[in-house]
Amino acid sequence: MSPVTLSAPKQVGKPQPALPGGYAGQILRVDLTKRKAWGEPWKPDEMRDLIGGAGLGAMILYRETRKGKGNVSWDHPDNRLVLGTGPLAGLPVWGTGGLTVVTIGALTNGPTSTQANGFFGTNLKYSGYDAIVIQGQARDWVYLHIDDDRVEIRDAKPYLGKDTWETQDALSRDLGMTGHQLSVYSIGPAGEHLVRWAAIQGDYGHVASKNGVGAVMGKKKLKAVAIVRGTKALRAADPRGVIQAADDIAHDLKTDPSARSLYEYGTLPGVVNLSKMGALPIRNYTTSVTGNVDMKSWEAPRLREGFDHRGHQCNACGMHHCHMSVIRQGPYKGKTVDEPEYEGWSGAGWTIGATDQSAVAWLNTQTDRACVDVNEFGWVIGWVMEGLEKGWLTKQQVGFDLKWGDVAGANRLLQMISRREGFGDLLAEGVKRASEKLGGEAAKAAIYTGKGASPRGHDHRARWEEMLDTATSSTATMETGNPVHQTELGLPARINPFDGVDVAKLVAGCRGRRAFEDSLGICIFTTRTRLENVCRALSAATGWYYTVAEAMRFGRRTAAINRATALRCGLTPDLEQPSYRYGSTPHDGPAAGQAVGAQWEKMVDTWYREVGYDRKTGKPLPQTLKDLGLDWLSKELWGARK
Amino acid sequence: MKVLKITPERCTGCLRCEIACSYMQVGAFQPAKSVIRVSPFEGHTSYAPYTCTQCAEGWCMTACPVGAITINAAGAKDVLDDRCVGCKLCTIACPYGTVFYDPSTRKAFKCNLCGGDPACAHACPTAAIEYEDVPTADWLHDFARERASHVLATNGGGR
Repeated sequence: MSPVTLSAPKQVGKPQPALPGGYAGQILRVDLTKRKAWGEPWKPDEMRDLIGGAGLGAMILYRETRKGKGNVSWDHPDNRLVLGTGPLAGLPVWGTGGLTVVTIGALTNGPTSTQANGFFGTNLKYSGYDAIVIQGQARDWVYLHIDDDRVEIRDAKPYLGKDTWETQDALSRDLGMTGHQLSVYSIGPAGEHLVRWAAIQGDYGHVASKNGVGAVMGKKKLKAVAIVRGTKALRAADPRGVIQAADDIAHDLKTDPSARSLYEYGTLPGVVNLSKMGALPIRNYTTSVTGNVDMKSWEAPRLREGFDHRGHQCNACGMHHCHMSVIRQGPYKGKTVDEPEYEGWSGAGWTIGATDQSAVAWLNTQTDRACVDVNEFGWVIGWVMEGLEKGWLTKQQVGFDLKWGDVAGANRLLQMISRREGFGDLLAEGVKRASEKLGGEAAKAAIYTGKGASPRGHDHRARWEEMLDTATSSTATMETGNPVHQTELGLPARINPFDGVDVAKLVAGCRGRRAFEDSLGICIFTTRTRLENVCRALSAATGWYYTVAEAMRFGRRTAAINRATALRCGLTPDLEQPSYRYGSTPHDGPAAGQAVGAQWEKMVDTWYREVGYDRKTGKPLPQTLKDLGLDWLSKELWGARK
Repeated sequence: MKVLKITPERCTGCLRCEIACSYMQVGAFQPAKSVIRVSPFEGHTSYAPYTCTQCAEGWCMTACPVGAITINAAGAKDVLDDRCVGCKLCTIACPYGTVFYDPSTRKAFKCNLCGGDPACAHACPTAAIEYEDVPTADWLHDFARERASHVLATNGGGR
């Protein structure tokens, strides 16, 4: 051990304010038009104000994408693509490889905040950066290569047309690296062809999927971001405190009844559990009963053991969540796939009537490789299948027949969509635009929100809180997230899920936690503990004294900033509606007859009142902004007031 | 003697051991300075940690010309910083590649079992690394051979 030095260290130049622990201290700025990259230091007070990830991204988007009184569109060179991480990334807290993508997305043409994990955040932080902010558009296809201080914009032509797994294989091979030495986040053919629901995928199975962030990357002609595991040190204000908080969180995840199944099986139990609530989306919402499928074979242990599998965890994570699987039987025997999340079993499975587990697992990885959002994939393909069955779409239109559960056919259509071939060109616009173009019965059968977002892979007619959250969200996916230990915030442990007022109050009450979590560089599954524990980890890392109240206030501040950007993008309250099918009443299953439409207005009114936003204009009220410490935003939204 | 018993099949490649180890080595989270390293096998589909097995032969000790490698209270071969001259002979002598050289300090560094309470074993969430009183062994050998033969088989003999 080195001896303790008692004399004051020599100071060179001006004294710099000490960086909070956990931060690398720089934001990597990249201008693809000018082919330039530079490091931009950020200040400790900005770090406390914006934290990172979702919070940092929201502010960058608000400040830098304005155009007159409106906003730049998703495909404009001035759109920013923020690939952010946060102060916990790279530390020994479970699940801390976090990536938060913030941009103006292609599906809603409004703000997005969408997450993935793997090793992106870890490798980036060890390289000396807390986030990458990309602007401009490259003339020819490029990829970004980061190796500590060496940042290069390189030619990506050899990787064009490759799917995301092939891209990572090829880059690893060409750079002479294996495993987590290199974290690669890339787009597949769908992003290259500007499919409006293209995603960004990395490290074999981690997808930032929402709002067409892959199309934004494609428009910038950026095929991939490849980050070598950096060699720099990350310091924590109280390293033992970080390890202790991490161990306490891990203990909670392993033992708390609300987190234990997630610890053991990830999101696999969702299929059976949600089917019992009527919240498993089956055949494009045409039914809510599982029929003659043996649901015992869909129990989590059997689902996992049906494959040869091995853990494939994100940074420092002990959850038995992400797995690599090998298919044992059937036409796809021997293929290595990423074990589907619940969302995969639903989007590439139940939503399109497919229940052959081996085939669904294969199709799910195909969507990751072509690189689209698996939720929208379900809504698009399910809609086509229903149309062909009912006759409002024809074989001639689509190019071939596609029946419920036809996995090979669904993949054929996926490949057409990814390259905008034939009917795939229309479907590449997403189910909202495609159905509106066709009109009639076709328009009534599509699942989307009025702002154009894809709901996640549930039947939200039996899960109203998420329908409300998704429809009112400024970020094109749920903004508040599901309640986690909400009693900590003084909210009820249980409510009547079909009482619109109670639902709205719960959603409004939980608002804030998600944006906070998504700013830390951590996975939302490893924060399924009391918020107090997460704040402890952050405090130990940074040296701040961070409280639950500050965390909630931070999250609501981020949401208000996103709301201001969304309004500038034209995402106004009149659009806060579910589509006809999305907001319909289930006719069978456990939630039969529960009519969300009948309570919708009341629910939205209550939500607005509770979050302190103006129902008419959608703007956060001046008092709300004042309470959040956003007086500057109040002036911009409402003008100077006495 | 208690040693690090490694069960490669349990490793998920989360690299938490490297983070914990680096904290013990340099007081910061910096896996580049870790003395336990996780290697990928078959591309990205399986991982296994490896570190000094504290082998009985102690090639590093034998090779060191200045007697800078000694056996500490936990029974681990340990580098004495004030004696090490940074000649790197130990890194060459080690048949497992588990002695490292740090250009910033110009010293060799290796696993010293954290003096008897190894941080990697505490950090591993899947018990792939345990600290137990078992005979020293090359924990990775069979695993690596099996994985390598699998890769050769699937790649058509490496052509």
